[in-house]
Amino acid sequence: MAQIVVERVRHMYRPPRGKSVLALEDVSLEVREREFLALLGPSGCGKSTLLYLIGGFLPVEGGRIAIDGATVAGPGPDRGIVFQHFALFPWKTVRGNILYGLERQGMPRAEREKRAQDFIDLVGLTGFEDSFPSHLSGGMKQRTAIARTLAFDPKILLMDEPFGALDAQTRHLMQSELLGIWQRTPKTVIFVTHDVQEAVYLADRVAVMSARPGRIKALVDTRFDKNDKGIFRAKHFVDKVDELWTLVRDEAIKAERKAP
Amino acid sequence: MARLDLARAADDGGTAWRERARAVAWRVAPFASVGLLIVAWEGFARSGAVTPFMLPAPSTVIDRIWSDAVAGDLWINMYQTLYRAFAGFAIAAVVGIALGFTMARSRIAHWFFDPIISVGFPMPKIAFLPIVGLWLGLFDVSKIFMVTLDAVFPVITATLVGIAAVERELLWSARNMGASEREVLRQVVLPAALPQIMTGLQVALPIALIVAVVTEMVMGGYGLGGAMMTASRFANSPGVFAGIVEIAVVGYAVVKGMAMLRRRLLLWHPEAMEPSTV
Amino acid sequence: MRSALIRYAPLVLLALGWELIARLGLVSSSALPPLSKVVAAWFSLIASGDLVTAGAFSLYRGGVGLLLAIVVGAALGIAMAWWRPVNALMSPLVEMFYPMPKSALIPVTVVWLGFGDGSKILLIFLGCMLPVTLGAFNGARSSDRVLVWSARSMGASRLRMLWDVVVPSAMPELLNGVRTALALAFILLVSSELIVARQGLGYLIGYLGADGAYEPMFAVVLTVAFLGFAADRLYLLLVGRVLAWRD
Repeated sequence: MAQIVVERVRHMYRPPRGKSVLALEDVSLEVREREFLALLGPSGCGKSTLLYLIGGFLPVEGGRIAIDGATVAGPGPDRGIVFQHFALFPWKTVRGNILYGLERQGMPRAEREKRAQDFIDLVGLTGFEDSFPSHLSGGMKQRTAIARTLAFDPKILLMDEPFGALDAQTRHLMQSELLGIWQRTPKTVIFVTHDVQEAVYLADRVAVMSARPGRIKALVDTRFDKNDKGIFRAKHFVDKVDELWTLVRDEAIKAERKAP
Repeated sequence: MARLDLARAADDGGTAWRERARAVAWRVAPFASVGLLIVAWEGFARSGAVTPFMLPAPSTVIDRIWSDAVAGDLWINMYQTLYRAFAGFAIAAVVGIALGFTMARSRIAHWFFDPIISVGFPMPKIAFLPIVGLWLGLFDVSKIFMVTLDAVFPVITATLVGIAAVERELLWSARNMGASEREVLRQVVLPAALPQIMTGLQVALPIALIVAVVTEMVMGGYGLGGAMMTASRFANSPGVFAGIVEIAVVGYAVVKGMAMLRRRLLLWHPEAMEPSTV
Repeated sequence: MRSALIRYAPLVLLALGWELIARLGLVSSSALPPLSKVVAAWFSLIASGDLVTAGAFSLYRGGVGLLLAIVVGAALGIAMAWWRPVNALMSPLVEMFYPMPKSALIPVTVVWLGFGDGSKILLIFLGCMLPVTLGAFNGARSSDRVLVWSARSMGASRLRMLWDVVVPSAMPELLNGVRTALALAFILLVSSELIVARQGLGYLIGYLGADGAYEPMFAVVLTVAFLGFAADRLYLLLVGRVLAWRD
């Protein structure tokens, strides 16, 4: 049985001013345990919305989402989330941010201090434990955010374009680091992105979403040897990127035509 | 700055000296202009163009401040005014922040208080002083009440703005990590809104001081404002000017103190939110 | 229209509550006369001309003082932003006097100009100048460098640049400073008239209060409070139009 089951889900986007808009319509998806799934699609297609629904931050309005058989009722530490703009607590240090989730879990002090330090080391932030987020670069902030989420050991990792706010070089670095971490401590990952190459590189499977109202248009298998140094130039990789790019391009054009 | 660069390009050796002189000049300038003001004041007062009554010389004024300090009157008055201002400010801070949070959480509370705040904020609430005096008497209670009434509005407004500006991703992250709603409020909303709330407090404190001084002037008694009114009734113009200097110094110290407190509390903040008040 | 009614409904409720509390005798009628009687007193004050006369005095003093404060204050602020020596000289003085409670100037203006219009105008001029100066200064400093350079490259003289680029860019902050000055003007006006005047709205309040005529006193208090509110709203309405090009 799949770990995450999304069944014919529907969601309306209701802005404080202006008209409501149908964000997701009849979305169905199954995610297996420890699978790395990428959600790919043009801007505004609702991929982040789907992520938030799975995370329990937004209410499902039609259909159902179940984790291990139980319907999702709200947010919880079993589904850790990482946001594009980091969402770090600016008044806490790097260490303080990572400790927060562990404190909520009631972990004893010595244990959580050690665990926090382990994750600080894991993401390469040793020496910056006592820095505030405002003194960190974008890449370092995102490492902190990832460490914070990994520290409380969620079985599912939800990532909302986590590298979107970083410059190209940092982004490439973070991608291979994330892959390394995931290969060492496998979790189920749902990774939202609009970058085709990123999706093919990181994921086992890519779900392509249509333009708004979002639906799953296609599911493409992208399981390769990701540790191959020349992967970005390998033929099967390039072909896959082309295949997905064609699928996405049509939707991107449709999304462009519709006024927001 | 461009001019300094040109100077550097022009020649060597001599410019290093000129640059340093210029840097020193800019640092000395603040003291120079205040010093100039005092010298001009003294000169103008002695020139005979105005009577000593209209413009007592700084020396006379300082004399007066000194004798007040020695006699103890200065400290009693300062204490009274500061006590009323800070008492009113403290109550306004607690009530204002609490009310702001209540309005953010309860739609009914928001509906009820919003027009009251929106209409009440620009009103010269000092006009209500005679009514407050009628209800609460002529002593500290009515003065502190007036101060609270005036100071609470900027605090409420700032709290509301601060809470509304908290990014939803911060709230979601906290809930994601298992925080209860109460924990989210105390551990995330409050610190996230703090910079804006502090700005509101920094606006409210000078208001508290102004209102404290005015209520003393209207109702009399001890305090810096009251003492100034007494001095003016006795046609004691050095006393009046002494009062201005004393209140100015107190006002300046209070504002600077608040700014230092803000920097301490908000060490983590990218200092983008300094209010444009001094 | 309907949303405005819902929004301001609590004020109506408060008014009703006031009337009820007063009528039910929960408080003594001198402490809180019924709203209806206050309104009646308001009309008779209008009819007798007292309110209008007092209002005229107050608004004249406030208006002139504020106008002077705006003109001189804005000029000073822009001068400080534009010429470094002016900034060096004036900035410490502005920093020093800004936190001073302006109400401290009430006795000294009386010493200089007595109980009449002059002292109030001077008080408001001196007291309200600095918020405008600060607004003009911050606004002028933040004027987009790119705009200034474009103007210069098109051959504008320094003065033209000042007028065509810096002043318009400084407007939003300047207008915000004027809004603060407006509120401050009301406070200083009412305060000084309560203490040291022989005419005007503040004086009228004190006079009626001393006479025990609480219903008309409440009427004038509410009038003053409302005038402050209305002035602010009116100002926002006017300013919004002027700033339309910003959006």
